[in-house]
Amino acid sequence: MSRAGREQPARGRLGALQAALGAEEATIYGYGVAGAHLTGAGYSLAYADSVLHERARDVLIGLIEALGAQPQASAVAYRLPVAVNSAASARVLAARLELDLAAAYLGLAGVDDPALRKLAAVRMQGAAVRAARWDGGTEAFPGIQPPG
Amino acid sequence: MAKSGHPTAAPPRRVVLAAAAAGSVLLAGCKGLAALGPAPKTGADVATLTEAIAAEEMLIARYDAALAALSGQQRITRLLTPILAEHRAHLDRLRTRLIQPAAAPASPSPSATPTPAPPPGGRRQILADLVAAERAAAGRLTGQLVAMPPATAQLMASISASEAAHVVVLSQAGRP
Repeated sequence: MSRAGREQPARGRLGALQAALGAEEATIYGYGVAGAHLTGAGYSLAYADSVLHERARDVLIGLIEALGAQPQASAVAYRLPVAVNSAASARVLAARLELDLAAAYLGLAGVDDPALRKLAAVRMQGAAVRAARWDGGTEAFPGIQPPG
Repeated sequence: MAKSGHPTAAPPRRVVLAAAAAGSVLLAGCKGLAALGPAPKTGADVATLTEAIAAEEMLIARYDAALAALSGQQRITRLLTPILAEHRAHLDRLRTRLIQPAAAPASPSPSATPTPAPPPGGRRQILADLVAAERAAAGRLTGQLVAMPPATAQLMASISASEAAHVVVLSQAGRP
């Protein structure tokens, strides 16, 4: 089996970190929208998860800067994968945001740096855990497109 | 079954045979392969993948045993059945990463997988044991994936995420 990405390992790491950063920013934005439709425990959970993603984003920014690169700027707004007009759809959005985030960390799970791989795996675990808390569901391969 | 005592101790027989077969190919074609540069270090990858496959087989056996023990409880059956299906999908996908030599003898059937002893205790104990097993499996994969080829590392990260999520739904069901 060939080890894809052996060439230009630093660029592979940087690209994967930037992709994860972009997804964290989109997730934070999405939680803002979801939170606006939630109350009580749902709102508290959305708030807590959002803070968690801000911390995760800051860690990624630090890692990107440590590679001597400029962190990708966040967008003003993001297209949401789910239209939100109720608490129920807000929960669906939150779960979907987490699974999209897991997909964005998949590249980082394959880079040539063991610590970054581990970070990616832990972040993917966190995303799948939060998705399960939001919608009660699980899937066999979070972050990986189903074949076909 | 005789092997049930130490189900994870030995790698499946066909993998040992596969490794032996690969070794003889390497010896036979030594000169030709040398021209391609150093041989890839597949030994450790294969061993790690074999461990991950054995771990999934154990998890599947645990769920089978739990479902058998709790067969009268529909709510638990509805909870555990889709999780078991996800573990079967994990196992299938992990097995595709293990290259089988063409000359390998027939693989043992899945039913030859060692089965753990019937789970002791009631529903809550069984669910708690499954939670612990899922947690351990996710943690083990996180350690294993660092040294694997990229695509396998990504697959293992995804599987570990699936197992971490199983902990959530099992824990919710295990609450009184």
